[in-house]
Formats: sequence, C-alpha cells, structure tokens
Amino acid sequence: MPVYNAPLLSIDAAEARRYAGLQKAADFAEEKILEACEDARLLAVPKGIWEIYDYDCETQTIKANPPCQIQGKKIGQHLAGCEKIIALSATVGEDIEEDITRRFASGEYSNALLMDAAATAAVEQIADGMEKAITPKMGAQGFLLKWRFSPGYGDWPLEQQPELIRLAKAEQIGVSLTTSMMLTPRKSITAIIGLYRKQENSTTEHSPKGCTACTQKNCPSRRK
Amino acid sequence: MCKIEIFDGAMGTMLQAGGLQPGACPELMNVENPEVVKNIHRAYIEAGATIIETNTFGASPLKLEHYGLTDRMAELNAAAVKIAKNAAQGRAKVAGSMGPTGRFIEPLGDLAFDEAYDNFFAQAQALAQAGADYLIIETCIDIQEMRAALLAAKDACDIPVICQLSYSEDGRTVTGTDPQSAAILLDAMGADIIGVNCSLGPEELVPIVKTLAENCNCPISVLPNAGMPYLKDGQTVFPMGPEDFGKWGVKLLEAGASYLGGCCGTTPAHIRELAKAVKDLPLPERRLPAKKLWLTSRSKSVCIDKGLPTRLIGERINPTGRKKLAAEIREGSLLGVKKEAVNQVKAGAHLLDVNMGVGGIDQTAAMAKAVTEIAQLTDAPLAIDTSDAEALEAGLKAYPGRALINSVSFEPERIEKFLPLAKRYGAAILCLPITPDGVPKTAEERIEVMHKIIAAAKDAGLDDGDFLLDALVMTVSADKNACYEVLITLQMYRERFGYPTTMGLSNISFGLPNRPLINSTFFAMCLAAGLDAPIMNPYDESMQNALMASAALLGDDPNGLAYSKNAANLAAPKAAATAKVTELTPLEAIKQAVIDGEKDEVPMLVENALNAGIDGNTITEQALTAAMTDIGVDFGAGRMFLPQVLLSAETMRAAFNKLKELTPVNQAPKQGTVVIATVKGDVHDLGKNITGALLANSGFKLIDLGKDVDSTDIVKAAIENNADIVGLCALMTTTMVQIDKVIADLKEAGCDAKVMVGGAAVTQEYADSAGADAYAPDGVKAVELAKELVKK
Repeated sequence: MPVYNAPLLSIDAAEARRYAGLQKAADFAEEKILEACEDARLLAVPKGIWEIYDYDCETQTIKANPPCQIQGKKIGQHLAGCEKIIALSATVGEDIEEDITRRFASGEYSNALLMDAAATAAVEQIADGMEKAITPKMGAQGFLLKWRFSPGYGDWPLEQQPELIRLAKAEQIGVSLTTSMMLTPRKSITAIIGLYRKQENSTTEHSPKGCTACTQKNCPSRRK
Repeated sequence: MCKIEIFDGAMGTMLQAGGLQPGACPELMNVENPEVVKNIHRAYIEAGATIIETNTFGASPLKLEHYGLTDRMAELNAAAVKIAKNAAQGRAKVAGSMGPTGRFIEPLGDLAFDEAYDNFFAQAQALAQAGADYLIIETCIDIQEMRAALLAAKDACDIPVICQLSYSEDGRTVTGTDPQSAAILLDAMGADIIGVNCSLGPEELVPIVKTLAENCNCPISVLPNAGMPYLKDGQTVFPMGPEDFGKWGVKLLEAGASYLGGCCGTTPAHIRELAKAVKDLPLPERRLPAKKLWLTSRSKSVCIDKGLPTRLIGERINPTGRKKLAAEIREGSLLGVKKEAVNQVKAGAHLLDVNMGVGGIDQTAAMAKAVTEIAQLTDAPLAIDTSDAEALEAGLKAYPGRALINSVSFEPERIEKFLPLAKRYGAAILCLPITPDGVPKTAEERIEVMHKIIAAAKDAGLDDGDFLLDALVMTVSADKNACYEVLITLQMYRERFGYPTTMGLSNISFGLPNRPLINSTFFAMCLAAGLDAPIMNPYDESMQNALMASAALLGDDPNGLAYSKNAANLAAPKAAATAKVTELTPLEAIKQAVIDGEKDEVPMLVENALNAGIDGNTITEQALTAAMTDIGVDFGAGRMFLPQVLLSAETMRAAFNKLKELTPVNQAPKQGTVVIATVKGDVHDLGKNITGALLANSGFKLIDLGKDVDSTDIVKAAIENNADIVGLCALMTTTMVQIDKVIADLKEAGCDAKVMVGGAAVTQEYADSAGADAYAPDGVKAVELAKELVKK
C-alpha cells in the first residue's frame, strides 16, 4: 500500500564508482564522480511503492487477488520458509534519463556514463530506504527481511515482470513495462523480498547474496 | 512536571488474547466486546498505571477505511473513551490514542498534508468531546505526519497533547529525523509532552530520551518495547521479561523521562514491575536547556548564538535581479533553485534563504513547491523570505522543520499576520526594525523599534530563542554614518536583548567602485561588533576570506588553527606542475593528453603541433589514432576502464574540432559510415551510446538512430546513407530476436552493409547464428572490428 519516496540527501559515490566499472581504477578522479552524483541528485525524482502479501512457499504462490505463482527454482529456494513477501518498485524518473541522452549527444561522454552509474546507485538507494522503512514495522511483528530478488535473477523468467508490476502497483509511481518486458523509466526496479519469522536461537542458512550469487563472473561492477 | 506518571502497556496482544480475530478491526471491540477492552484497562490500572490509553490507535478515518468503518469513527472513539473512563473510575487519567495513518506525507508519500490534518482533527475532536484527559499521538515515523497531527490536535481541543515518534536503531526515525530536531520543533509548535515509543527496547531508548530532555522544556515520555520478538514453538514471543523491563525504569528516569510505560510485548506484569521500580523515587532534577535560537530541517539542527561559529545564510535562492532564474521559476522549473541550494551548502552555507518573488506567478504555490523540493535535497534549515502571508503559510506548512521567517517588521500586516503564523508553525522570526514611516536612521531609533517588535511577538506567544535581530544596512555612499550606525546597532542588540543578530551586507557598497573590498572590510567590522549570521553570497571568495581571517582574529578559530590549515593561505608550490609536458615532442604530447583524457589541454597542443609545421594527417595518424590503439590495448588488458576511455574520446573530439577549425581542408580521413541503433522494443541505449561515441571519434561517420528503432527504419537509413556498417544493439533475450529480423530485412532489401552486433545478452554464438558479420563485446572492440570490416 504505501508510497514512499525516500529522499536522496546524497548518492553513494562508492556505489556509483562501482556501477561505472571503475573499481580497479583507483586513480580516476573522485571529483568527477561526486559531480555526477550531485547532478543526478538534482534531476532524480525518487519514487517507491510496496505491497505486502501472504505467501505459500510450498506452492510458491503469492496470495494476491488473483494469486500469482512464482516460476523458477532459485527464487523458490530463496523464498523457502517465508510466510509473506513484499513486492516493491522504485524509480528515479525520466528526467535524468533524458539528461544522460542529451549529454551523450553533446559529447560529454564520460559524464553521461557517470550520471548513468549515479542513477543506478540512486535507484538502489531508494529501494534500500524503503527496506529501512519496512524493517522496524515488520520486526515488531517478529519478521525479518530476505534480500531483494528481481525477475531475471537466476532462472526467474522476465516474463513474470507484468505480475510483479501488478503486485507492487508500480503503475501508481509511473513504472511500467514495454512489450519486451523492459521497465520504463529505464532507471527503475521491481523486486520481491521474502519475510520470514525470526526463530529462537536460529541461524537460518540463506542463499548467497547479490554479486556472489551471480554467474556473471567478469562483470566490471561485480563487488570485490 | 511534578511527579512520575505510569502509562499502561501493549493493547493489541491483549486484545488477541481476549478473542480478537486476525484481520479484524481492533477498535470494533470497543462496541462489540467492550468488556474485553475494559478488563485490559483494569488490569493495567491494578498493575499501577496512572494513565491508560484508549483502544483507538487505528481509529482515525483513514485507518478505519481499511475495514470500511470510516463512518463509525466518532462512535468507536467515543466508546473507547467511555470504556476507559469507566474502567479508571478516577484512579487513572485517560489518554486518547492516535496512531499513524500508515501512509507517508507528500513528497515522501502520496498523502497530502491537509488530508492528514483533517484525518487527525476528526479523531482528536471525537476523543476530546468524549472526555479524554490527554491526546497521545504515537508511533509516528514521519515528522510531517506528527506536525499535521499536532496542529490538528491543538485546533480541535484544549487538552494536553503528547507527541511520540518512533526511532530506529540508528537513532533516527525511518524518515531521517533525529531526536534533537524533533524536540526543538515539537516544543516550538506547542507540544505539551514529547516522547518516544515502540521500535526499540528500553536500553536503546535511554540515549534518545536523554537527547529529548536536553533539547526542550516539556516533560518527556517513553514507552519502550519488550525487545524484538521472535518465534518460539510457533508463538511470537518478546525477549524481555517483566523484571528486566522494570529495572530500566530508573535509567529512563535518570535520562530525563517522567512519563513511563510500555509498548509492544509489554503486559500488566511489565507495568507492575516498572511502577514498583520507580513509584517511590523522587523525580530526578532535570537541567532545562537555555532558550537559544535553534532552527531545524527534517534531519538536522543549527543554533545561532554568540560564542558559536558564524552561521552563513545563503542568499542566492532569490530571483530579484536575476533574469535567468526568474524566467525558469516563471516557467515552473526549479532546477536552478535546486542547484543554488546544493551549491550554496557545498560553499559553506548553514541555512538557506528562499525567496520566490517573481511577478505574475502564484507565489503561494511556488513557495510551497520550492520549500518542499529544497527540503528533499539538503539538510540545511530554511528561511522563508516573503512579504505575502499566504505564501509564508504555504512554505511553513510544507517545511518538515523549524524555519526562520524573513521577515517581521513593525508594520501592521507583518505584526498581525506573520506573528500568529510563527507561533502556529513553531517558526523563529527575523526582526527588521522598520516602521510604516520607514527606516530609522540611528541605532537608538532602531533599538526602540526592535523593542516594539519583540513586545508584540511576546504578546503573540513567542519567547526568547525565537528571535534573530537584523541590524539593517543602508548605503554608505548616501549616508556617511551608515556603517557606524550598523556597528552600534549590533553592539546594542547584544547588550539590550542578548539575541543573535543578522543582516544583508552588500547594500553598504551600493554606488561605489570595487564593491567586494568595501563589502569584505565591512563584514570584518561587523563580525567584531557581534554579527552572528550574515545573509550573504557564500560563493564570494573575498567574504569567505574575511570570515576566515576574522574567525582567527576574534578567537573563534583558536590560535588560527583552521586558518593555518586552509590551503588558500599556504604558499603554493608553483614549479612542479608545469614540468612534465616539456620533455615530450608535440606529437607525443597530444597522444599522452588523449590517453590521460586532458580535453582542456589538447586544443593548445594541436595548435602547437601545427605551428611547429606538423601537418593534420600526421597529427591524426601518429598522435590521435596511435593513442586510440594504445587505449584499446590498455582497455583489453584491464588497465583502463570505460569512463577513462570516454574521457579520451572527448579529448579526441576536442582535438578533431581544433584540427577542423585550423585546417578546414585537411579533414580527418573517413573510415566509413556506420548506422547504429538499439533495436525495436529495447529502450536501453547506454552501450549503443558508448560505442557510437568511440566510433564517431575514430574517424567514422556516425548516424545514430537512437533506441527502440523499427527494422524498416534501420534498413532505410542504411540504404540512404550507403552505410558500410550497421551496428545493432540489444540488451535482453526478449529483444535480441530483433537482430535476426533486421539482418533478414537488410538482405531482402539488397543492402550489403556489414552488420556488427552487441549488447548484454548477445554472444558470439548468437551473432553467428543470426548471420552477423561481427560481434563486439564492448565499444573499444567495436572500433577495432569496424576498422577491419571496412577494409574487407
């Protein structure tokens, strides 16, 4: 239900550096990255929305109306033991994208690329901000959050994007899909977060998170 | 604040134990099962609670909407108060509970401030009319929701209002508000008791209670959880037992709280232990903070006072005399305003003045929008600068902090309209000694007017700590005493009132040459005379220098330590910087500049080379192309990365442009023509843009068709431009199939251009099966492949 547009009081320059593929380029000027982060902040229009549903992990079914069965083994394993899920979507809007295109066209190539990376960092930060907003409320009910999982990760088919858009009510924040399952605005995300109950003295094993779980070993943005 | 009060504990879990079904509306129990609710109240009172909360946490109109019960709002709230009073029988006071709406206020969420206000007004009125002794607004995580609720509560009734936010482990609310800023703001807005509940256990709340107590004069309340719950044998349990919980009571008392109780996971047993632990203790003496001028944003507090560092109020968000900014604002764009906000803070501004004074626009809407957007972008507190009472109120309402009103003079409209707004929204005021008769000339006269303004403000309910006094700067070229009077005024303000001071400085030099010198000298004099918060242009280097030097001279920067560390004051080593270039030949220098991405240097280097008699072709081949080859090698080997390659491409572009300018005939040889596009259905064009940039600066004529391009358009452009190469980009497996279609269509149209493909999901295998001539895994490789393709 809630719309939560987490403000961007700064954009994480280290993350922008990583998305720009500059992790190993220690000598690349920090001020260029900081400048891109500031420019991105002026143009970003942060928006986010989420909805919480009951979930049956045996049948991988989200108990929405109508229900939604999640396809894919990896996501099934990831959500094992979860009683609820959060469907969420976040975006920084169209303005920043138009500005990046304009910069490319006018020959500010590196700046455009850094802005693109800053925008990616910004969307993730908005989603982080949403998680931060959800955590205490669900924590008081005894729930903990798994990490965000999106269609296209592992074997979760992109074809389930429309379902996720529906579940998160992403259209309320202006996020939609092209016929080829691409999110617009381009700098947007959809994701599912599993909610499981904290057990007494439990050390629940969780599948590896983020980069370590990804098969793209040579990705320049892979977390070191 | 004379004695310790004990609140009750959790209601929800007790209702469940009393038969509340999952998914049912808890407040409906007030009419359908009042005995259960009454018994819970009784249990808490018998445990020692002196204040009990009504079962109305979710009984606001917006929350009841969830159950389709909005029309029974008044009934459910009235019933709840009745049950509580019945249960109490005078043994305990009744606090009407108002929980959050579950939605965030704009711009953080989709709920309008006024809608939230109406929601809480209705509930507050229902609770108060039914006879509640207090209102308790609790568990809020958005300071804007708290502000709306507090305004509504105070408008709806006269009973004391308790304001409790919930803080997360990082000591801030989810939306970023720290307890200091919350205490300052809510105190200024007239909260009667300020506190914290839920989310954390008592141990984590001790420091938060302490901060609240140190920053306001209100009593402090604290209702912790019994720790964070977990699942045990299928049951949700809270880890902290009654005895442990009770023990924390003393610590919370010592931290400054005098209203103690429990939230999630607490039971009558917890409250019994808590009451037992504190009931016979004397209330520890609390040192109340002195009334100082504090301003807050959503997430930060700033104090202006003598003895503290000078606070700069940035003046640049003001369209007066700035055509471009004014035109932008008129067109509805706030980009320039937002840039000024961010840049001024970066330049050292501690507060930002916001003036939207553009003729012919809706001032009220413009002010609300500007305040809203700036508050999302920076944590510097704002001064709302307007002469329009409606615009002022819109700005104050939209602001999630304690703002400064710029300004209140002794003119009837300001006194009558601005002062009540300041009181209502908890704002501070900038006092300007102007009367309807004009500007008093002498310091004595200004002091006289200032006394009148302060008296009127105090009549309106403002108090010490709400005032910033403007010394009023006139032009020295028109009045030789203008500077002198300001200096005397500053001194007298400090002696007579003790309030901090401000002023806009630059007026002093109007009509004189070399104004920066006058301004900065005047600034230094004023700082010595007691100026605390100048309104100025923070980008002005001479002013910043005057401030830095004055701080060292006046002892605000002890022993000039900061002054000594500032790079601007250190002798710069000049020799080292220019040394390296000289040893290279002109061609080597260009090549190196391209590799290093020094696009500002390269035009000069190209010019030098041409002047040295080197022709354009040689520069292109031996410096520019050679650089690109080296870059390709370094990129392939993982020694250089994309943003660096793109910087080099920009440098190449600057070099080519210079060559074209100086030797128009001698254009760089064209490698060939490339038509490039991201295929139909695909909106991701970053990779295509990068590749295009590199091709365009490696001698290729580039025709970029953009993204989401239909096959027929690609074929058409390839034929019309007699393309040597068609470059196709597709990001995902869902759009990759378009590549096959374009290749087939090109063949069918008889186009013999070579096809190069790339994109995240595309592989060599896929390229081969689709019949492409080349697969480029990245932009650098694409340039290399393109050069080979045109040779074939």
